Amino acid sequence: MTLPSFVSRNQFLIYRLFSLSGLVPVGAFLVVHLLTNASVLGGAASFQSRVDLIHSLGPLLIPAEFALIFLPMLFHAAVGFAIIAGGLPNVGSYPYMGNVRYTLQRATGMIAFAFILWHVIQLHWLGAPLGGGRFDPHHATSTAATVIAPLGVSLLYAIGVLSAVFHLSNGLWTIGITWGLWTSPAAMQRANVISIAVGVVLAAAGLGAIGGLRSTDVAAARQVETRMDDFKRMMEGKAPGADAGGHGAPGFPATVPAADAIDLRAPSEPSALVIPTPTTSSIPAGN
Amino acid sequence: MIMKTDDHDHGGQTSARTIPVRVLRQDAPGQESYWERHDVPWEPNMNVISVLQKVAAIARSQDGRPVAPVAWDCNCLEEVCGSCTMLINGRTRMACSALVDRLLEEHPDGIELRPMSKFPVVRDLVVDRRRLFHSLERVKAWVPVDDSFDHGPGPRISPEDQEEAYPLSECMSCGCCLEACPQFTRIETPKREGETEEQFAARRAAAFDQGFIGAHAVSQAVLFNKHPTGKMIADERMAALTGQGGIQMCGNAQNCVAVCPKHIPLTRSIARAGRAATLWALKKLFDR
Repeated sequence: MTLPSFVSRNQFLIYRLFSLSGLVPVGAFLVVHLLTNASVLGGAASFQSRVDLIHSLGPLLIPAEFALIFLPMLFHAAVGFAIIAGGLPNVGSYPYMGNVRYTLQRATGMIAFAFILWHVIQLHWLGAPLGGGRFDPHHATSTAATVIAPLGVSLLYAIGVLSAVFHLSNGLWTIGITWGLWTSPAAMQRANVISIAVGVVLAAAGLGAIGGLRSTDVAAARQVETRMDDFKRMMEGKAPGADAGGHGAPGFPATVPAADAIDLRAPSEPSALVIPTPTTSSIPAGN
Repeated sequence: MIMKTDDHDHGGQTSARTIPVRVLRQDAPGQESYWERHDVPWEPNMNVISVLQKVAAIARSQDGRPVAPVAWDCNCLEEVCGSCTMLINGRTRMACSALVDRLLEEHPDGIELRPMSKFPVVRDLVVDRRRLFHSLERVKAWVPVDDSFDHGPGPRISPEDQEEAYPLSECMSCGCCLEACPQFTRIETPKREGETEEQFAARRAAAFDQGFIGAHAVSQAVLFNKHPTGKMIADERMAALTGQGGIQMCGNAQNCVAVCPKHIPLTRSIARAGRAATLWALKKLFDR
């Protein structure tokens, strides 16, 4: 059985999976991602604690990322590009709202795909061989803020985020028609209001995150992150400490080193803090 | 600007004003198309059909060259037969109900006529809409009672169901929904050298089977799946609706409902067919 014959015989199933994947998991991920990012408006510590929560998945994080985010997204994009190639937009002849949205859905899908590719290369460790991978989960706010700091990058992020948000919220409306959730024009109109509301909230979250990162004091954020990182390492040092505990886990400073003690220009430097010299203010091992 | 005459008395029956008409012509299937201009004397209450009749009567282009009359399809002249669909000023609609004075209000520069773009041109404004009817065959858009036996009275249909069915039954197969649909793209299979009619018909049908069935066929499937006798082959229609080129090809642009001359609630039909397809797929998956 050739691939084209498999695809044509299962076209309905493939298109429905495409539709579903746009909502779950890809759309659901976008919601979580944007809301997580928006927590940067609450400060570097707020964002860092949410990033830590995600990274608490530990060894499960990478399989979860691939199974629930990257692969469904690639599937959605591959089928989406095939659908775009098969269509013939005609918004010039028929400038109706539905047709404008049909055209924008395809345009934003392509913009969002290009943006996500760039975004992943730029921040995710997968992009490290390409000179990207600049996001450090232990220093979430400061590394993200540094990447996004140039105005041009911020603007491209705003375009990418708004494209993704439009694509999801408009897609929410069309998914309901595709699966037959809302069928009458009145019901479609009500669903439309809800879809727009979802879009506005997500756009606010996405743009809020960009604004929040832009207004971040990178040095101060880095200091907060380092303090949180030290604390985490200390906790980790204790947790598996059953065997090591008897020999005395290394102590940690309860107080954060003064800001000037951290060399902000050399990200590798703070590793010196990983094994701090025991000081007078060690936390007792028994807590 | 249109009224390239000395007459400005607006609506005088003896007026000598003329309407510039641009027609995209094509002499035969597969040939190059070309634009031709005509000047048509204005008369009150003209529609595009009467414009074409005048073009045929004059049989000269704007520059005075003798030309063959422009070919077009029409029949009922009251927007119920669906045969005179064409692109009038770039938009798909029925020529019989396209009134010239309204068109000139929107486009004072004149009238532009093109054949439908989603079907192969036979000649000038005449297109081969065979695929439209092939789609109706794919979804079995009929009630499967085809004999002369007395089957007794048919099942009763509630007034509510009648009210829902009637608008769908108004479809006249004009093809406007298909012409305006960005997901419905042209399929043209020219006859090959040495091919018999049967081989050609089979190859053409196979090509049509790959393509999108279109909004009209989805709506007719919904109509006949609702009918108490028609629903006896509902599963066969669902198989067609969820087969290749089925309802999944819809991209929700909703142009179909916007251009439908009969104001058929096509998007409601599509959403209902979508729901039926969802349930049918679940049934196929879990009930067997």
